[in-house]
Amino acid sequence: MNVSKPDSALLLLGHGSTENPDSSQPCWDHAEAIEREGLFGSVHCAFWKEEPNLRQIWPMIEESEVYVVPNFISEGYFTRQVLPRELELQGHTTKRGELLVHYCDPVGIHPAMTGLLTKRALEIVDEGVRPEETSLIVVGHGTGLNKKSTEAIKVQVEAIRQSDVPFARVLDAYMEEAPFVADWRELTDTPNVVVVPFFIADGLHSYQDIPVLLGIESEPTAAASQREVFRQNPYRMDGRTLYYSSAIGTDPSLARVILDQVAYFDEHYRT
Amino acid sequence: MSLAETLSELLPPGTELAFGELALSRSASGVFRARHTQDRDAGALQPIETVRELRELAKNDAAGEYRPLKTAPGLVGGWTTETDCPREFLKRLDAIYPGVFAAACAHAEGRADAVALRATLDRQTGMYRFAGTISDEDARRVVSEVCAAGCLRHVVWPIGVDEAPSPPPRDPGSIPLICLEACTFAVNKARELAKEAFERSQAQAQA
Repeated sequence: MNVSKPDSALLLLGHGSTENPDSSQPCWDHAEAIEREGLFGSVHCAFWKEEPNLRQIWPMIEESEVYVVPNFISEGYFTRQVLPRELELQGHTTKRGELLVHYCDPVGIHPAMTGLLTKRALEIVDEGVRPEETSLIVVGHGTGLNKKSTEAIKVQVEAIRQSDVPFARVLDAYMEEAPFVADWRELTDTPNVVVVPFFIADGLHSYQDIPVLLGIESEPTAAASQREVFRQNPYRMDGRTLYYSSAIGTDPSLARVILDQVAYFDEHYRT
Repeated sequence: MSLAETLSELLPPGTELAFGELALSRSASGVFRARHTQDRDAGALQPIETVRELRELAKNDAAGEYRPLKTAPGLVGGWTTETDCPREFLKRLDAIYPGVFAAACAHAEGRADAVALRATLDRQTGMYRFAGTISDEDARRVVSEVCAAGCLRHVVWPIGVDEAPSPPPRDPGSIPLICLEACTFAVNKARELAKEAFERSQAQAQA
């Protein structure tokens, strides 16, 4: 879908981190890719935990309209409470003085994520590995506190099962609730297993915590940008072949999903 | 007037300005230049020509440690960046001090007011909700131990909602780095101090 809005700004919202230098990188990468296309008057990022902070962003926007896209993986506490509160948004469109602010859905819930997950899984396996002999595990954080946090993953897993890619099994698994990703050996019975983290960045969870849960690392490593080599797929473990992908949010195609959310806003929420 | 035009007007050809740890200048022919203040008189500096590279440069300190607070002292030196495009120059400054120039302009023009610490803390939810219970004395510790000790910005926000903000310094030779609202580090410290005070009071009650 084509989006061209030279009179509007685009604002991507990220969580950011005060500890991990890689957390905000995908947001900046996607912003840069979209900016290169010249589709918007300007493209900005703002973060909960980094700068520019959510509260600092308004003076930077000089257009009369701005599309705000949360670069978050699911709907929940942040997209429903924290981001609207910090940005003082009410509903889909908010008028702030002369500025019209359009609050789009988070990237992670767009239907295009299904194709992106499948693409990422097929990309990282070796040539000759057959999907029929491969299980795909989409892994998220999971928390007993918020049912919404796993909903986006369950929707994606079901959509991949219904697609024409013949993975032997497609499963959801989590760091902190069942089914646990640490139990991947028991959850799957195929010779090959592909694990794709449904996270926005290769930050603390997807780069440092999940590899330990999978058994790839014995303890959390340094941040991704502080290591010379990313990961050496595949991992041969217990007679199985395991492929571990970088976070889905780092895929360059996510820039297209961001634009899809802007288009979706215009089609469904714009009055 | 756009932000880039304001920047051009503040920095006409042949002038210099200080901006935090940056020395800004503009040649007689109109080329904008930024470098670290410690490199003002340095000879050979590494030219940096992209926003992306400048953002990377500002990410870590000289020891390679992550700098999550971009207005903390400790920006590395040894580089220079030049462009004749004011909009591009502003983007490059934003890579080092995100949104700081826009905030200074908005505040000077009356478009952005300071937000009292109490207002910031009172709207927090989740793990930061408890920060709102902080005493005035501990709130002043936040300012002295986090803001004054670890950030180059001038704190404009007051602690109480009925208190007057502290006006930014007026120096024609510099662009002020102002703080209009407590950042995540200040809120986090407020939560920490509030929790400590609560735990102390609980321990005393049980004693």
